Amino acid sequence: MSAEREFQIVPIVQEAVVHNSRTLLNLQSLTASLFGVGAGILGLESYSGFLFYVVCSLLTAMLFYVVRVAPTSLASDANGGGGAFDTSRYFRSQVEFWTGGLMNGLAGFILTWTLFYGLVRA
Amino acid sequence: MTWISKAITLFGAVLLGHACYSAQEHSALQSFKAATATLTSSSLAVASLPVDIAIETVIAITVILFGLVLGTRPLRPIQWRVWAGKIEREGEEGFMDNDGEVNKDFVGNPFKFLETRPGFVDIRKQRKEFASWVKTSSTQ
Amino acid sequence: MAQVPVQTIHRDPQLFYWILLPITAVMILTGVLRHYATVLMASAPKRLDQKTTREQRALLHGINVRGNFHTLAKPSFDVRRDALTTAYESGAYLKSPENRGQAPPNPLSDPSSMEGMMGMMKNQMAMIIPNTLIMSWINAFFSGYVIMKLPFPLTIKFKSMLQAGVATKDMDPRWMSSISWYFLCIFGLQSVFNFLLGSDNAASQMAQQMGGMAPNAGQMFGPGVDPDKQFLAEAENLAVIEHYSVLDGVEQRLLEGIKV
Repeated sequence: MSAEREFQIVPIVQEAVVHNSRTLLNLQSLTASLFGVGAGILGLESYSGFLFYVVCSLLTAMLFYVVRVAPTSLASDANGGGGAFDTSRYFRSQVEFWTGGLMNGLAGFILTWTLFYGLVRA
Repeated sequence: MTWISKAITLFGAVLLGHACYSAQEHSALQSFKAATATLTSSSLAVASLPVDIAIETVIAITVILFGLVLGTRPLRPIQWRVWAGKIEREGEEGFMDNDGEVNKDFVGNPFKFLETRPGFVDIRKQRKEFASWVKTSSTQ
Repeated sequence: MAQVPVQTIHRDPQLFYWILLPITAVMILTGVLRHYATVLMASAPKRLDQKTTREQRALLHGINVRGNFHTLAKPSFDVRRDALTTAYESGAYLKSPENRGQAPPNPLSDPSSMEGMMGMMKNQMAMIIPNTLIMSWINAFFSGYVIMKLPFPLTIKFKSMLQAGVATKDMDPRWMSSISWYFLCIFGLQSVFNFLLGSDNAASQMAQQMGGMAPNAGQMFGPGVDPDKQFLAEAENLAVIEHYSVLDGVEQRLLEGIKV
């Protein structure tokens, strides 16, 4: 009940949520294919390839945070004092922001990884 | 803003293409060498990639990533009060795309209707304005 | 030398140009085509007559009042609730009040409901037909080739899926045939379509499958649903709401928010 009350007192703009997550999703699916190209050229295999992917998508989230989220969310005092790495101004859940890209781009990553691995190691 | 991100992405793509071509040529050359030297298997020769190509690939990826992140659309605050405050302060400029156009799903100020609500209209001020307008138009 | 020697298979480089590229190009073009076909085939929303619209809007009104009661003051909410409940229970908003209490007509016999089903069928067809065609095309022309090696190892169970048509017992399951490249394309081209067609395209199949599962708004007024029952249920929902306002205790919250 109290969570619902809280939500009613501080309403959320649904369009903005959709806009933000779509922006993030577009970036993630593009970069996932890019990482696949990179992993294929480097000739990574099995675990090292997936590790490369995880590291790179975390790097993407980090860069996105620095470029798009941090300048405004740190400047405003309305974010409830979350401090650094707080994305609550733009995203509803932190987990979605930092790790959502791993699942979204995995299929694209594997596709381009296989393609370029096959191309380079022909 | 947008041409910077596009230029960076393009530059990175050129680097990546070059790295890809180099890696492909390298492996082709290695397997050709292995075939002519009649080594036992070509897999030994193909196993390693020259360091400069690897470095070039990593740099290219970083550059493209940077360009793509710079090219993303600006985010919008999700809390209603923060969002409405932004609209009140910045108006349409807060909802520009990278291309300098107002986003097409920007619906306008959600509090505009308060100004036109009958209970909120300052009828005396409007009457005064009307009177002065009549005066100015009659003197001319 | 405890390491297992890596299997190498010398493949003709021409396999690349004559199998891999055609399959990929065809998959991408099919996705684009499907997107535009769906856009073209999308039927305009049907015009409803006044009675039907009133029925649907009255129900939506009740739902919205129920969802947003916290922004209304207590007296205004009570007035709305009373009016809506009495109207719902007396059946004032029904399209055909004389049909109350009768069983709803069979949705298949109603011509107006057939159109909605045709729309769904068309979408399904746009999904299924290209996929079946391409799959049989690949099976007919490209089966039996090993074209690529996956960069990560798999267990032996994937062998029958990845190497369909290649009957070699000892081959590493990492080697894949053209049909598995097709499957990889189905799942992985999502991001390419995202890039080419914008993010809300019709080519992304996963999104379509998700959309099929989620109950959409049209379902609520779909054929075979008795509006009278919906109204009665909505009246009951309205009646059990325990009203409170978001403005309860707002002075307290305001004072807490002020920092001196």
